[in-house]
Amino acid sequence: MSDNSVNILDIKNIEVMYDNVILALHDVSLRVPKGKVVALLGANGAGKSTTLKAVSTMLASERGKVTKGSIDYDGNSIEKQNPSQMVGLGMVQVLEGRRCFGHLTVEENIISGAYSRKLSKGDINQELEKIYTYFLRLKERRKSQAAFTSGGEQQMIAVARAMMAKPKMLLLDEPTMGLAPQLVAEIFNIVKELNQKEGVSILLAEQNTNIALKNSDYGYIIETGKVMLEGTAESLLNNDKVKELYLGISKKGRKNFRDVLKEESLNKKIN
Amino acid sequence: MANELLFFMEVLVGGLLAGTMYSLVALGFVLIFKASATFNFSQGAMVFFSVLAFCGFMQDFNIPFVLAFILAALLMVVVGLCTERLVLRPLMNASEDTVLMATIGLGYVLEGLAQAAWGVEVRRLDLGIGDFPVPWIADNLKLFISALDITAGLVAAIMIIGLFLLFKYTKIGLGLRAVADDAGAASSIGIPLKHIMLLVWSAAGVVALVAGCMWGARAGVQFALVDLALKALPVLIIGGFSSIPGAIIGGLIIGAVEKILEVYIGPFFGGAIEGWAPYVLAIFFLLYRPEGLFGEKIIRRV
Repeated sequence: MSDNSVNILDIKNIEVMYDNVILALHDVSLRVPKGKVVALLGANGAGKSTTLKAVSTMLASERGKVTKGSIDYDGNSIEKQNPSQMVGLGMVQVLEGRRCFGHLTVEENIISGAYSRKLSKGDINQELEKIYTYFLRLKERRKSQAAFTSGGEQQMIAVARAMMAKPKMLLLDEPTMGLAPQLVAEIFNIVKELNQKEGVSILLAEQNTNIALKNSDYGYIIETGKVMLEGTAESLLNNDKVKELYLGISKKGRKNFRDVLKEESLNKKIN
Repeated sequence: MANELLFFMEVLVGGLLAGTMYSLVALGFVLIFKASATFNFSQGAMVFFSVLAFCGFMQDFNIPFVLAFILAALLMVVVGLCTERLVLRPLMNASEDTVLMATIGLGYVLEGLAQAAWGVEVRRLDLGIGDFPVPWIADNLKLFISALDITAGLVAAIMIIGLFLLFKYTKIGLGLRAVADDAGAASSIGIPLKHIMLLVWSAAGVVALVAGCMWGARAGVQFALVDLALKALPVLIIGGFSSIPGAIIGGLIIGAVEKILEVYIGPFFGGAIEGWAPYVLAIFFLLYRPEGLFGEKIIRRV
């Protein structure tokens, strides 16, 4: 996975600071191969969102800065880019918490995703119809104000809006946050379909380790701003540590985080 | 009886038309509030600055009317450009309150610049439209309505329709509404914030110029225009800060109500209630309908 032509995104040893003092990422290296789905897993505050924002260059608007390391997208460094340039290059981030334009209709929300492209009215309608084939539910609600749609629908709007920009790569930040299990599955089905049919590479930040790994090719687990573990999705799903810490299953039955820590400190003492 | 009714009609129509002048000023506030969720305290100064520049071009340099107007409009675009570059961009991550304070500062800068460049004396602005009753209407409908009021009404109507079409049906209008809702999300899908800000501030500048011309023709181009613009505040509270139709209807309501109150209730208070009656009305709106008549409802899902 180290060949550059195969990786659409290549993050090398980045360090990120907020406000010049708060160290959010220590050392994160991560690669997304072209056309694959990569999951970035970890608890709250582990640095998932920060990593995604470093890639989309949206860090600057939150007083964050990449202070060490490099990020290459599609073979070029992203250092001097701004968010709208990144969208122009085909990298679109779907922000955490959906962030729909509440007073706009569902359809206006989706069309706004095409802002960076120079399309005629006819082209836009054609693209819109194509996007509706993935998001059937949104077509029914196209005239509703986005703020009055459900959480699941808003997440779909956010993804559909990003797809209107015709991305080569999508960054999804916790797309299933606060959604019912059935909707979580529906969202992941759409993501998978977009990946396979449209060939979009996807970097996905999730807390829902199980379903994220089941729908990914490769996974990274980060904790306190560092990559702790990486591997193919399958190997991570079968990894005992991951099972214990993130999936809550082990050979000895269910466990919680505290038990694992206790066990580990015991082991250290013995060693 | 018929005479009384006629008199009431005259007061009402006069008030409504005078209200469109308020609407014009309020329009500038709405534009900026939509894009940056900030009450632009410098709007009054922009009115003063733009129309003083317009007068200056005509009277000091003998530039013809139309050309001077175009120059003044271009000057307001430059002001918009500088504002975006020097004030808004450095404050991009600052809170809305900080931006609000910055607009107060900007207002002082514009007032100072205008007076430094064009002097402090009151100037007369002649648009070629008299502020006296139109004979035709006076003869046929028995209503005494000022030609300037009618012009202001027409100009306001044209600007409103234009802006409405711009917001609703153009790409840049869609971008602007998106930024108004969530600037961060808008930037994440590639809507360039700086273009939108530039557009909005320039548009607000041109609207200020038009409003300034109307007010200047009536009351003279002078420093008092800055404070007069604050009359737009009750208009905005009644109409809603984020609504263009709201600015118009709010202006009409204020215009009509203040004239009617002045004529019929004013004598009981010793007159001159025109000055404060709109604010009392605004207080009632703040109590019972804080988003205004047409403001975007604060949408909160439960």
